[in-house]
Amino acid sequence: MTLILDILTTAAILFVIATGLLTIFGVLKIINFAHGAWLTIGAYCAVAVGQLGWSPWLAFPVAFVVGAVLGGLTERFIVRPLYARPLDAILATWGLGIVVGQLITLGFGRDVQFTAPLLPGTADILGTSYSIYRLFALGAAIVIGLGFSWLMEGTRLGLSARAVIMNEALAHVLGLDTRRIRWVTFMIGCGLAGLAGVLLTPLTSVDPNMGLAWLVGSFMLVMVAGQSFAALALACLLLGGAQVLVSTFLSPILGGITVAVLAAIILRISPKGFSRV
Amino acid sequence: MKRRLLLTALAATMLAGPAMAEEPFLIGIPVGLSGANSVVAPSVVQAAELAVDEINAKGGVLGRQLKVVVADDGSGAVGAQKAFDSLVFQKNVNAIISMETSAARNAGLPIVGKGKIPYIYTSFYEGHSCSPYLYVDAWVPQQQVPPVVDYLKAEGAKSYFLIGSDYAFGRGMLEFARKYIDKTGGKVVGEEYLPMDGTDWTPIISKLKSSGADALITSTAGGAPNVTLTKQLRSAGVTIPYANLAVDEGTAKSMGADAAGILISASYITGIDSTANKDFMAALKKKFGDKARTPNDLSVPEYEGVYLYAAALKKAGTTDTRPVLKALGEVSYKGPRGTITMSKQHHAPLTMYLGQVQKDGSVKVVKSFKDVDPGDQCPNL
Repeated sequence: MTLILDILTTAAILFVIATGLLTIFGVLKIINFAHGAWLTIGAYCAVAVGQLGWSPWLAFPVAFVVGAVLGGLTERFIVRPLYARPLDAILATWGLGIVVGQLITLGFGRDVQFTAPLLPGTADILGTSYSIYRLFALGAAIVIGLGFSWLMEGTRLGLSARAVIMNEALAHVLGLDTRRIRWVTFMIGCGLAGLAGVLLTPLTSVDPNMGLAWLVGSFMLVMVAGQSFAALALACLLLGGAQVLVSTFLSPILGGITVAVLAAIILRISPKGFSRV
Repeated sequence: MKRRLLLTALAATMLAGPAMAEEPFLIGIPVGLSGANSVVAPSVVQAAELAVDEINAKGGVLGRQLKVVVADDGSGAVGAQKAFDSLVFQKNVNAIISMETSAARNAGLPIVGKGKIPYIYTSFYEGHSCSPYLYVDAWVPQQQVPPVVDYLKAEGAKSYFLIGSDYAFGRGMLEFARKYIDKTGGKVVGEEYLPMDGTDWTPIISKLKSSGADALITSTAGGAPNVTLTKQLRSAGVTIPYANLAVDEGTAKSMGADAAGILISASYITGIDSTANKDFMAALKKKFGDKARTPNDLSVPEYEGVYLYAAALKKAGTTDTRPVLKALGEVSYKGPRGTITMSKQHHAPLTMYLGQVQKDGSVKVVKSFKDVDPGDQCPNL
């Protein structure tokens, strides 16, 4: 039972972290290597909210707004001129990630920061006691996943975004403001990254480099998933599950490389990953 | 031409100037101002500066003043080679006294051997580093682990689970812990490691919970991995006695409620109830004011290391390396941690303190173990 819960919650956390990256990759076709930095920004929003004495739950909206606003500025001034040069965009966002990390170090110091626990304690599920917070993360992943399906399938913005994903030139010719769609998408992606950063705070230490460890894993997952949220959910479940199984039955050290190795194998066999799901 | 001559003459007088008075003894401090040790390094430098100031205020040693020369070793081997080279061969320091990573220490030792000067290492480490030039005034596993295990055993623990970060120090500490537990009749029911940049301890925690262990001993890398593991342990509802070999008092303090109940074992805790410690803390506050860093198990040995070196100089009555090295193993200094003598194969018997983190973040001394022996570290010295 514990094993099943471990797999589900691990997959959920990976999913929440990777959605922001996938959103941007899907529409803009660039990998935002500053994603890790945005996770960190979100986590420091939680620290700031704690220092102001506000309720720790307020960190979620604050981080989303801060992430989205900073993301909007980044898209306008750094990413937009580089759409035609995706490789340079990778370099630019990677560099931006380093800059953000250093700015956070200047503002908050290099030390590890602390936030109030959101949901301490455990709950009993079918006879096993399990961390309430990890269960909450599972719920959060489901809400975000469903919310996104609704956004993509049920709104005008989603329709436009899907049009851009399928054929951007055609969408542009048909009168869609693709520039605006890209901008809004980038903001949402960055906002989601901020949100994920807050979600991580009760599980990890908060320090200026915290995002980096998660960036690599979510990058792998997005590569495997392609552009679909369902594929991302599947990838998280399979690869995250494999990570938990390897860690439990073989060695946690091997578990640490499971996601990367499996992603490489999957892409070797099927270069499109799970994107046809 | 004439002007150049004048300049040369001027330079010569300037160079000759300080040499006329007695030159100060130079103490080289290679320390990780950047990299992994950068969080703790400022407190180490402050401790050295305070010791030097105090000694100078009382007239110095052998009629000469002491002076600190700091160099950044980047917390690693490459930086340490540069730092040691420049300190030993360019600045011509009289001794090296510093806390560093093991990699940096190993890189610096051959340089110290070539320069033939004393090197006092003031960081706890995995043990068995031996050189005629090296003295250590901080703890080794043989001193830190037994108090923890003995205490847990007295509390009724029979089976233990060990969790660590996958690197030399983490594995070294837990390997020693496992042997010591076996020797004292306990049982290790699980031992797991995660890479240093690993963030998800979930499978390990699930194993811990299903193992039914009575007590948990962890030795992760300091900082982030330590905090991450502790948070995830607490959120998984782990409540068995928990000894953390790698947490320092400052981190434990800022972790707040999550850290409550954690047992730590150290040769220095700010709560040591002695006049030497209180005077030391007051002096630090007076010299650095708001900028004073909280003293810790790495900075206090640095402070005492400077005093031990001064005492050795005084006893030897000369700066010649051989007599000073001999004296370093004989002199004692009564500092914040108690009376320190590096008499045991270049290592020091130390009083170890077992502390427990309280709900408000303060660390209470539960028990102290007087003059714990470092064991056979360097039988050939």
